[in-house]
Amino acid sequence: MTPTLADTATTIQSILQGWSISESLAMFLAAVIHVALVAGFFGLPAGIFIWAERKISGRIQDRLGPTRVGGKFGWLQAIADGGKLIQKEDLVPEDADGPLFRVAPYVVVVSSLAALMFLPFSDGWIAISLDIGLYLMLAVMSLEVIGVILAGYASGSKWALFGGMREAAQMVSYEIPMSICVVIPIITAGSLNLNEIGGLQSGHLGNWIIFHDPFSFLAFFVYFVCATASCKRAPFDLAEAESELVAGFLTEYSGFRWSFFFLAEYASMFTVCGIAVLLFLGGWHTGIPGLDGILDGPRYGSDAYVWTWLTNALGFGVFFGKASVLVCVQIWVRWTLPRLRIDQVMMTCLKYLVPISCVLFLGAVIWPLALSFSGKTTIWGTPTGERAAPTMRLESISSPADQSPTASTSNGETGP
Amino acid sequence: MANLLNHFLLFILAGVGMLLVPLLIGRFLRPKLPNEDKVAIYECGEPTIGSSYIQFDLRFYTVALLFIIFDVEIAFFFPWALVYGNAMQLADTGLNDRAREVISERLLTAPQEAVSITPEAAQTLGLTGFFDILVFFGVLMVGFAYVWKRGDLDWIRAVGSPDINAASNTAEPGDAA
Repeated sequence: MTPTLADTATTIQSILQGWSISESLAMFLAAVIHVALVAGFFGLPAGIFIWAERKISGRIQDRLGPTRVGGKFGWLQAIADGGKLIQKEDLVPEDADGPLFRVAPYVVVVSSLAALMFLPFSDGWIAISLDIGLYLMLAVMSLEVIGVILAGYASGSKWALFGGMREAAQMVSYEIPMSICVVIPIITAGSLNLNEIGGLQSGHLGNWIIFHDPFSFLAFFVYFVCATASCKRAPFDLAEAESELVAGFLTEYSGFRWSFFFLAEYASMFTVCGIAVLLFLGGWHTGIPGLDGILDGPRYGSDAYVWTWLTNALGFGVFFGKASVLVCVQIWVRWTLPRLRIDQVMMTCLKYLVPISCVLFLGAVIWPLALSFSGKTTIWGTPTGERAAPTMRLESISSPADQSPTASTSNGETGP
Repeated sequence: MANLLNHFLLFILAGVGMLLVPLLIGRFLRPKLPNEDKVAIYECGEPTIGSSYIQFDLRFYTVALLFIIFDVEIAFFFPWALVYGNAMQLADTGLNDRAREVISERLLTAPQEAVSITPEAAQTLGLTGFFDILVFFGVLMVGFAYVWKRGDLDWIRAVGSPDINAASNTAEPGDAA
């Protein structure tokens, strides 16, 4: 089995123990490094996309965007903003519910960070690979709305309350077409394990689930619209809606506490786009037949560790690139389309997206059944190696011998 | 399970720490000079009128009520989709033997000896699953159609729906209630 991040943590732990550090301290350090690797993915995309959004929006509006901090392209702007925000006064209004007001950003940050633990950045680079990963990931991600409602309610401001309530209504309704569209690739792949779903799409472009049948092709676009709405991005940013609600649920927040809502927003933009990439767009696979063979090829021999690491790094690059393109589309949409009214937002979901996704779901259910009864193959295209790669992966997952131990188990595997 | 629990604890701690540490550092850097105007609730620069803990639009509640049920039902789709997807993969006669065994094993939750489900059996399983979800989904859709027809999905409600008009025309206290 390819080493997961948990394995990496175990390896680190065993190395640290080799340096005659006590076991519990080694375990603690390994856990810190393990979580820092994933938390890096929380901070890094957020930093990049905040800068990208400013540059892209600048270009779209015929401006330059940031140009000063960090050279010509202003790429250190996000860090400079962080430095500014940390010095800003942390105000809590007198009429606000103090404890809840302070807790709200924690809920938002924790849920959007915890969702990342189920996201495979590459074949082996996942914090915890579960057979129910996708389901748990969606569940954890949707906890973010609680933080937003909490922020809106606890602020003690009418603007914030309206923002919070709009967010609640929007989220519960957009979750439905989104989850229905997520079920469609599950029917195709027959798995909830994101690693497996990604692995099934190796080979060539035709193996990506988006090209599997016409329904999954359309489902991708419906999913993407719902994902944009679930990140409360324009044109669905009714919860903030500067021109109507001042800043919605953020009205009373200031300084660093305020900025964390945005960090979480950008991180969850990356997460939902990552899910889209894994479910529809081939995950970490390039879609080029020869190259995918290398990414999935058997990894044994003396240099297996280095080889695995390299292919994972390549896979991560592909995955991150694809997800970034989708995030840029979200940014592009935000700066192109005007904000919808709340009744339009609700109507788009309830009267269009829900029926559309229901039809797509039924279509995706009937499609393989109809193919099967007409004697055709239910697997479209010819995967290289006759589904060899997924089978190998299934084999390695089902073997109990090398269940990856956590960062917290005491005796780890040997290092490279 | 312990693995998952540990990870949750780890990530919750990390998330809290990520916010707490900069805020604690900021405590030494940032000013703390609240005054009456600063800690007041912002209401477009005017003095606030009344509390903000007010009754808000009932429509939000209706939407939540309707769609929580919908959400819960969708949650049941996930395990079904898993089984159906596997059955449909097995129904393909072109599937190689090793993959067939592995998928069969997963579908049958750890059987005693190695078995592989035949394409015909898988097709039957798929068909059963199809009719199962048709009934389940059908009930959901009937409910959805009912709610739509009743006008609960309209965000802007007609002010004078027939019932309300009838009630206000007769103007009897019993009817209005």
